[in-house]
Amino acid sequence: MTHIVVDPITRIEGHLRIEAEVDGGVLRDAWSSSTMFRGIEIILQGRDPRDAWIFTQRICGVCTTVHALASVLAVENAIGAVPPPNARLLRNLITAAQFVQDHVVHFYQLHALDWVDVVSALSGDPAKTSKLAQSISDWPLSSEKYFSGVRDRLKGFVSGGRLGPFANAYWGHPAYRLPPEANLLAVAHYLEALEWQRKFIRIHALLGGKNPHLQSYLVGGMATPIDPNSETAINIGTIAAMHELIADARTFVNQVYIPDLLAIASFYKEWFSIGAGVGNYMSYGEFPHTEGPNAVPYLPSGIIVQRDLAHVQPVDPRQISEFVTHSWYDYKGGDARGLHPFEGETNPAYTGPKPPYDRLHTDGKYSWLKAPRYGDKPMEVGPLARMLVAYAKGQPQVKKAVNGALAALGVGPAALFSTLGRTAARGIETQIIVEKMSDWVDALANNMSQGDLRINDNTKWDPSSWPAECMGAGFHEAPRGALGHWVHIKNGAIGNYQCVVPSTWNAGPRDARGNRGPYEAALVGTPVAIADQPLEILRTVHSFDPCLACGVHVVDASKNEIVRVRAV
Amino acid sequence: MAVDIDLLILGLGNVLCGDDGLGVMAVHQIEERYDAPRGVRVVDGGTLGLALLPLLHEARTVLMIDAIRCEDAPGSVVRLEGADVSPAVRERLSPHDIGVAELLDAAELLGCSPTKIMLLGLVPDRMDLGIGLSPGVEAGMPALIDAILGEAAGLGHVLSLKPQRGVSDGARLWA
Repeated sequence: MTHIVVDPITRIEGHLRIEAEVDGGVLRDAWSSSTMFRGIEIILQGRDPRDAWIFTQRICGVCTTVHALASVLAVENAIGAVPPPNARLLRNLITAAQFVQDHVVHFYQLHALDWVDVVSALSGDPAKTSKLAQSISDWPLSSEKYFSGVRDRLKGFVSGGRLGPFANAYWGHPAYRLPPEANLLAVAHYLEALEWQRKFIRIHALLGGKNPHLQSYLVGGMATPIDPNSETAINIGTIAAMHELIADARTFVNQVYIPDLLAIASFYKEWFSIGAGVGNYMSYGEFPHTEGPNAVPYLPSGIIVQRDLAHVQPVDPRQISEFVTHSWYDYKGGDARGLHPFEGETNPAYTGPKPPYDRLHTDGKYSWLKAPRYGDKPMEVGPLARMLVAYAKGQPQVKKAVNGALAALGVGPAALFSTLGRTAARGIETQIIVEKMSDWVDALANNMSQGDLRINDNTKWDPSSWPAECMGAGFHEAPRGALGHWVHIKNGAIGNYQCVVPSTWNAGPRDARGNRGPYEAALVGTPVAIADQPLEILRTVHSFDPCLACGVHVVDASKNEIVRVRAV
Repeated sequence: MAVDIDLLILGLGNVLCGDDGLGVMAVHQIEERYDAPRGVRVVDGGTLGLALLPLLHEARTVLMIDAIRCEDAPGSVVRLEGADVSPAVRERLSPHDIGVAELLDAAELLGCSPTKIMLLGLVPDRMDLGIGLSPGVEAGMPALIDAILGEAAGLGHVLSLKPQRGVSDGARLWA
């Protein structure tokens, strides 16, 4: 039995660590751990709830807008502020832009290198690559000359000893299956995706100001004014610029991302039956069509239990609780019972080994993440959960897109319950959202032309208008999945604050009954060809789009020796 | 290269992690007290990764402000330039495996690297969860601000003292 440890090698203590037992080339059991304490809840106690979003947007460098929005929603829910339609549209657009940019960056910059061998791309024939490119897409950058140029650029970079983002990977690993030309095509699009996202992210500047951290949120609505006659407000020029960026994004997604996704997946079809995991899925629903707390979302909410697509259950937030049986926290009432976020406690109590260490005490507490459960069940969250819920509920656009992708790949709906199903769902979702964005821009333009320039409800701005004590929850779907913030306000200040984030749902440890979390469950049964190059583990972990970085080292338990592998 | 910014003063780090936020706090202090002349931008980059690529693309010279670990005492000013910068920031692993080093790599891959990159900062003491700087680092902040102003002046950009101290949300909340 070989014991594999996946852990970041970094000066920052923490991030994600996977420990796994491998036997006979198959992963038999896994433990997912975050080794970094993130107690934003403690920082927020006693502060002005209207400022909370400015702090929460610093929790995570890739999830800034989502924590800002969830926080604002929670406080609005507590104090009873109702943002006007324009605020909803602006929020939908900011969120949608985040989804589209994030999903593309995830596919090319984080996940593609799990499937694409960059070194093999160096031997790709430009003429054949051109033929391949033209056979799968109308995207114009597809000439022999173009791919020859990309190959030269890559060669120059590699021969200069500057592998950069391509430095830490398992090139030549037998689990890589693409021909050199497909690898070269994917590398070309890796570079194009970088360039495209640099331009597309301007949409956030259009809506949120020049600062890279959005400044446009506000409890009660939005802060960036709308005014067709003002240079400094969101105006007709902003509308036109957004339409242009969205049109470019639609072209890129439909002509580059989706064809690449389908082409790469067709070489790895066995990954449609690996990595399913817990089989329970949850979505809070996102992109409200209407105003207020009971708004109808474009992507519906729901719970799927044990892959049963015939019976989607409504989400009841009272069923959510967090366990710390295997987490480095104490609950005053003991560890056996989970706590609902409104009564949540954040009392850190580290009992793990002193770093640096080889093994965590996986029988006891082994993670800084709590274990969220719905009822007593672990839930997978993210694009796959959203697409499954929407598909099962018959959301027409999702149904059409999912059926189209399944037909193109020649697989059935059961293939979605897998590592590659997760990756495909992310692509399909990108398509659905990028198609919808223009409608929200049009609605905004329409309101503007009708003279409706309202962007916030300031009737509840003054704390004297709040009850002495109130509680609220903000539910939001982040690109990585269901995100909830819970706030308890006492005398105008934050009494308690709890965040249950997507990576906690997915990467959390076992609960009081010993049930594995979604990462842990998804990894069981994964083939691992070479223990000290666990590429297959990364494929499944990365398919969830972790917002925690991870790296690798390996323990062979029988020899009791440790081979540290560089972070990938 | 679409150069609109002659000098980008870019604060990096996480303000929720003690001294790790010193670069961000330094740029907020500068924003409160100084006016940036034309061609100079002072930006709080936090722990954002690729979202900073558009800024890098527009900048000729980048002065990054960050916590820098080395043998010196906490609060000491450290300055690195050119080829030394990338290894120093390589270990600033941001979420998503995409940190500052990856950002610089991406700029290079796309052929839009700034002409000159410098890194200026203080040696941190405590980087655990919490807002605010440790005493040794707090004491070093005036020297860091002076060093940033001096660096800008050396490049021909004078940041002038505001007649009245401004208000920065960041400085208000993270002080």
